[in-house]
Amino acid sequence: MDPFSTLGIARRYDVDLAALEKTHRELSRALHPDRYVGASASERRSALAKAVDVNEAWRILRDPIRRAEALLTLGGVPVGENREPKADPSFLMEMLEQREALSNARRTRDLEAVHRLARAIRARSDETERELSLEFASGVSEALLPKLGELRFYRRFLDEVSAIEDELAA
Amino acid sequence: MALFEIFDPKAPARPIGIDLGTTNSLVAYVANERPVAIADCDLAVLVPSVVAYLPNGDVVVGRRAAQLAAEYPRDTIVSVKRFMGRGANDDETRRLGPYEFVPAPPGEPNTVRFRVAGGRIVTPVEVSAEILRALKAQAEDELRTVGGAVITVPAYFDDAQRQATKDAARLAGLEVLRLLNEPTAAALAYGLEKKEKGTFAVYDLGGGTFDVTVLVLDNGVFQVRSTGGDSQLGGDDMDRALAHHILAELGFDPARQTPQLVRWLLDQARAAKHELTVRIDVEVDVPGQRRFSISRARFEELIWPLLERTGVACRRALKDAGVQPEELRGVILVGGATRVPAVRRYVAGLFKKDPLSDIDPDQVVALGAAVQADLLGGQGRSDDILLLDVIPLSLGIEVGGGVIDKVLPRNSTIPCAARATYTTQEDNQTGFEIHVVQGERELAADNRSLARFVLRGIPRMPAGMARLEMTFNVDTDGLLSVHAKELTTGIEQQVTVKPSYGLDDATVEQMLLEALDHGEHDLAVRLLAENKVEAARILAATRKAMVADADLLEKGEEALIEQASLELHDACSGDDAPRIRSRIEALDDATKAFAGRRMNRAIARAIEGRRIEAVEKSVEHAKGIEAAHAADATRGG
Repeated sequence: MDPFSTLGIARRYDVDLAALEKTHRELSRALHPDRYVGASASERRSALAKAVDVNEAWRILRDPIRRAEALLTLGGVPVGENREPKADPSFLMEMLEQREALSNARRTRDLEAVHRLARAIRARSDETERELSLEFASGVSEALLPKLGELRFYRRFLDEVSAIEDELAA
Repeated sequence: MALFEIFDPKAPARPIGIDLGTTNSLVAYVANERPVAIADCDLAVLVPSVVAYLPNGDVVVGRRAAQLAAEYPRDTIVSVKRFMGRGANDDETRRLGPYEFVPAPPGEPNTVRFRVAGGRIVTPVEVSAEILRALKAQAEDELRTVGGAVITVPAYFDDAQRQATKDAARLAGLEVLRLLNEPTAAALAYGLEKKEKGTFAVYDLGGGTFDVTVLVLDNGVFQVRSTGGDSQLGGDDMDRALAHHILAELGFDPARQTPQLVRWLLDQARAAKHELTVRIDVEVDVPGQRRFSISRARFEELIWPLLERTGVACRRALKDAGVQPEELRGVILVGGATRVPAVRRYVAGLFKKDPLSDIDPDQVVALGAAVQADLLGGQGRSDDILLLDVIPLSLGIEVGGGVIDKVLPRNSTIPCAARATYTTQEDNQTGFEIHVVQGERELAADNRSLARFVLRGIPRMPAGMARLEMTFNVDTDGLLSVHAKELTTGIEQQVTVKPSYGLDDATVEQMLLEALDHGEHDLAVRLLAENKVEAARILAATRKAMVADADLLEKGEEALIEQASLELHDACSGDDAPRIRSRIEALDDATKAFAGRRMNRAIARAIEGRRIEAVEKSVEHAKGIEAAHAADATRGG
């Protein structure tokens, strides 16, 4: 499926999220199952299938990683961690060190250190996203894959930070 | 049986909204376009969520049961919601409480089981069904016939907890129109009351669960942006903290107390908490021990760690929604525990504004549920209002190394579906072991396990050749079903995810049959009634569609649809349920193509409407983007 066409916008990495959210809302207003409670079974089924598509398109486009994956797939570049080139060893090493620092902070229950590590990674993630956006503007190619891979590492790191915050608060 | 009254023209079945709370439950409906809570014969609206199983076999629910708790601490189940969808070995099950648990028989799901009077074994689903039955009876006293029900659940309930709630409703003989998230229900009650627009947060601290939801209200659409919480945190924990404090003051070991003393202490603690909302200290008098006083300041110290836990969830929900506290139009307080002054102060500090609590925080959820029930099952203003909710926790699959692959991330709008493909790791693997989990942690073991199953019969192939396609579907109740298919052979398996703690359909059916006086006969009557109701609904909807989009009807199509409608109408005058069913399907076939054209028109209109608006507002949008970037830049904190 093409999430861009589902929500009626051009295939670009930069999207106006506020406008997109509005479109998603209006499409939901027309298609949500609650609008079809009294309708015939086939109408209910078809509305449900379309509402699911619209929600999927919104889920993909609002997320910088899934949006990049969709653009690459539509542009003929296969994505998925098994199909992409291995990450740069020095980047991997650095991530490993960051993860180690994070688990140390977790062990010593040092919330301040957790936040400091998270801030640094978030800044890098934002920066990578900006670079990705610039590169997408000049075309879709395999050369974009390493940046996408980096974004996934940052995402996993920040997810783990959230989990640790929960754990340290409990 | 209420079943026989469904077609009584004088008393149309009225849809109801039920707040099945940890401490109290209540039922509401919409009268003259306004939601009202239904009181019992003593004019009380809140039904304590307490069920007492007495030695003589009687089952007592509500206020009377609460009074029996002191005398029968083991046989009186209080706060059963905390055990819904939980395993016997979960931490929750082992906290301070007066119950006796029994292990599940070998081979059965390891769900919580209470042993009550006379050696009777009951599960949380059965206990909850008793509460729902009492609420249904209370509604029937007022409305004579009750239609479907919207039942609220904490937004942060996982799949197992939702499934358990739905099972309890079915066991109580209720048609579930929807499981609705409590904060969303509250927002619905508030939004309608005040015709609000903008971004709101709902802070819902109930007896046993905490939810926070950030949502956007726009022209009748209530769109949830993010939700978070803790399904094991609530006012009960304040009571428990206070009870532990009292035990410590007296030098007692909490693990070695009688059920009577534990129940008594928890009740005293709750009473003290209530008093401390209006006074600055209370006296606690433990029989045979010295009296001592607890100040509000001491109480606030004891509950401070609990408040901080809610703070973590709130900050995360704001971050997930991409919203700064200053951007919120308002914060809505829900749940009895938000009456505690320290909670209000904490919320005001966190969100940087005084919270709203002008609708009774004990009733607001049920009132919102009643509005949604009216929209789904009645004559409500369904053209103006729409709730768009999300899943609270990510859903995923365990892959190599025990890591989870998130198939649907948290805060995905429902209904939703996603597909993911996996390959074999070893040569000649003839089966896929599939483990479905819910949660945010990286390792499957740290998340909630929803289901495990094996897809077998795959021919021997080298590693990486077999391809498994997993499809996740989450419906509007937030319930997951999973479909697995091996692509090279086409071997498939469909699972509704509930084997961990839920009941399967056959069990529910059996329990229902046992509960009814005339078993199968009543079920047949109910089936006929349901088919007739559905037929009437579809006939009305078809007529409406043919008028609204007459221009989309193709030549000859109209006559075919008229004919099928007429035949269905005829079938409804008889008592042959299968005949009605087949005519419903025939009408469905006749309208299929027409329905497709109507759908496409609706989509085109929605997108087109947005385009026109987008051009008009392009200047405004440009500003919106800048603001969003600025927010991004400051989000690091």
